Amino acid sequence: MNIFESVLMAFGSIREHKLRSFLILLSISIGVFAIFGAGTFVTAIDNTVQNEMSALGDNTFQIKRMPSIQMGRMSRRKYWRRPRINFKQVEELKQRVNLTPFISTSAEGGGEIIKSRYISSDPNVSLVGADDIYFVNYNYDLQDGRAISSADIEYKRNVAVVGTDVIKKIFPNLNVIGETITIKNQQFEIIGILKEKGAVLGNSQDNQVIIPINLYLKYYADWRLSLNVTIKASDKVNLDKTIDQTIGAMRIIRNLKPWEDNDFELETNDTISEQFSGLTSFLTVFGMLIGIFTLVAAGIGITNIMLITVKERTKEIGLRMAVGAKRKWILLQFIIETITICQVGGVIGILIGLLVVWIATIFTGMTLIIPIDWISISIIIATVLGLVSGFYPAYKASKLDPIEALRYE
Amino acid sequence: MESKTVIDIENISKIYEMGTQQVFALRDVSLKIGENEYVALMGPSGSGKSTLMNILGCLDTPTDGKYLFKDENVKEMTDNDLAEIRNREIGFVFQTFNLLPRANAVKNVELPLVYSGMSPSKREELAEQTLINVGLGDRMDHKPNELSGGQRQRVAIARALVTNPAIILADEPTGNLDTKTGDEIMILFNKLWQNGNTIILVTHEEEVAMHAKRIIRMRDGLIESDTENPHFKVK
Ligand SMILES: Nc1ncnc2c1ncn2[C@@H]1O[C@H](COP(=O)(O)OP(=O)(O)OP(=O)(O)O)[C@@H](O)[C@H]1O
Ligand SMILES: [Mg+2]
Repeated sequence: MNIFESVLMAFGSIREHKLRSFLILLSISIGVFAIFGAGTFVTAIDNTVQNEMSALGDNTFQIKRMPSIQMGRMSRRKYWRRPRINFKQVEELKQRVNLTPFISTSAEGGGEIIKSRYISSDPNVSLVGADDIYFVNYNYDLQDGRAISSADIEYKRNVAVVGTDVIKKIFPNLNVIGETITIKNQQFEIIGILKEKGAVLGNSQDNQVIIPINLYLKYYADWRLSLNVTIKASDKVNLDKTIDQTIGAMRIIRNLKPWEDNDFELETNDTISEQFSGLTSFLTVFGMLIGIFTLVAAGIGITNIMLITVKERTKEIGLRMAVGAKRKWILLQFIIETITICQVGGVIGILIGLLVVWIATIFTGMTLIIPIDWISISIIIATVLGLVSGFYPAYKASKLDPIEALRYE
Repeated sequence: MESKTVIDIENISKIYEMGTQQVFALRDVSLKIGENEYVALMGPSGSGKSTLMNILGCLDTPTDGKYLFKDENVKEMTDNDLAEIRNREIGFVFQTFNLLPRANAVKNVELPLVYSGMSPSKREELAEQTLINVGLGDRMDHKPNELSGGQRQRVAIARALVTNPAIILADEPTGNLDTKTGDEIMILFNKLWQNGNTIILVTHEEEVAMHAKRIIRMRDGLIESDTENPHFKVK
């Protein structure tokens, strides 16, 4: 009588008691799915955020009106009272910060319809207003043509740099330099094509049109718009100094008294990842809580189902004892049976979880990573659950009186 | 009787406490059974036959008295020791067969060997051989519900035999069978006895008891008589 045989016996018993097995499998797999799904999803988000930040670059930071991620109602109120960042303030900031020339500004709108002389796009193209430095700060490469220059801004030229997704939708081929596109009755000449980048957190970077920031403000923005400023320090050593200088400059521009808080947000890679870790740890805790709750419920359910099983199989237990099964073997048999069912349930939960995460990654454009650590954690959880919830029924089975058990009908 | 003593009980009693009342299932029973004996245990319902069988089979322990199984004191044994004795030395045959309903004949016969630590392949071989010996060579893969009552009891007997135990204990093995099938089972027991097995069986029916060599009659927890069967004949 070895473990392998007990496991085989357990599988036999799983097949023989289909309803019981189904109920246990269901509850376990839901619990494991919650934990595994949350864990894997968080890992996927983390990974995506890492990718996005490395695109931004280490020495880069941003000045914005509000943080990228906000949680809680209280903080939202505080942020809404902050003044907006307008073009004049950005101009002044560029004057005052002299530690780096790489100060860019941009603004982004929701979905726009882009028209060519052939056809119109869906209203989902993101329209970005940017200056020349923006292309440097975000490491945008062009696969054709040129980027927006300072002269384009100075002379308010109607020019546009376009992502490949947009072009594919409204032009028959990628040969579009010099072509004209129309955005809300304004015409722009295509001067460059962005190199294909793929998607980050569900936004395709290739589905955008970049035009000079001043034209963007003139035609497409209203008073509610607040600009984003991206600043790239000349190197790692200068980053802190540049940040200090920028904060000082912004406070002067904003006329803040020494005792007043900053009324703008400064984000570096670190602060963004901090914000994300707030979100991800919230998701983790949330998934864990749901998972633990279902697993505790599942555990209680399993204990009850196994108690019924022991009762139903009283005669069998009596017989096994009569032909020489020691009590510890009866104990082991039922524990292994419970653990085996739980592990099968765990595997099903993991498979469902993988499926859901896989679908989610397709829709959000994140990269799917098979989370080995979450798979092992889930298996361990299922095993421990089987052990804990199977112990009492197994103990009861092992303590049966063989004669009483044999006589049981 | 020169044969070696297998079972030796002295002044065994079994008392059940039912609330304030005491039920004497066995009172001061003494008995010796040697190797290769063939004993029928008779008596009215409630006379203590099953109780005695369970004690002899180490499934139950007496309230009082001494039990030597192959010269070993059963009273001093732990639960595990008793399980091992049941596994190696005793083969039970029950009135209601007690087969595992979802396992086929071979798997049912293998069951005691599972707990004796024999390898699966050896187990299967031995179980199949034993099934052939009880005349079920062509029913190996049948599940209990695919077998007749007599065939089921044969499977149960094969299961009792497969460990080559010192004694076979059968509590009303023909109780659930018609007369003809019961006779066939009794012929099988007779064959086993001739092959050297020790057999103790409980029965209500005189005809069944007539197959045995020695007949013990019980009443109210006492042995009333213990005689050689004058009508015994080797078949
Ligand atoms: N677990 C128990 N609790 C209380 N009394 C019991 C118990 N088991 C047996 N008895 C009593 O012990 C006595 C002997 O019972 P036993 O089962 O040995 O009789 P039996 O001779 O096998 O009867 P039958 O021929 O009907 O099977 C009976 O009076 C019975 O009521
Ligand atoms: Mg009885």
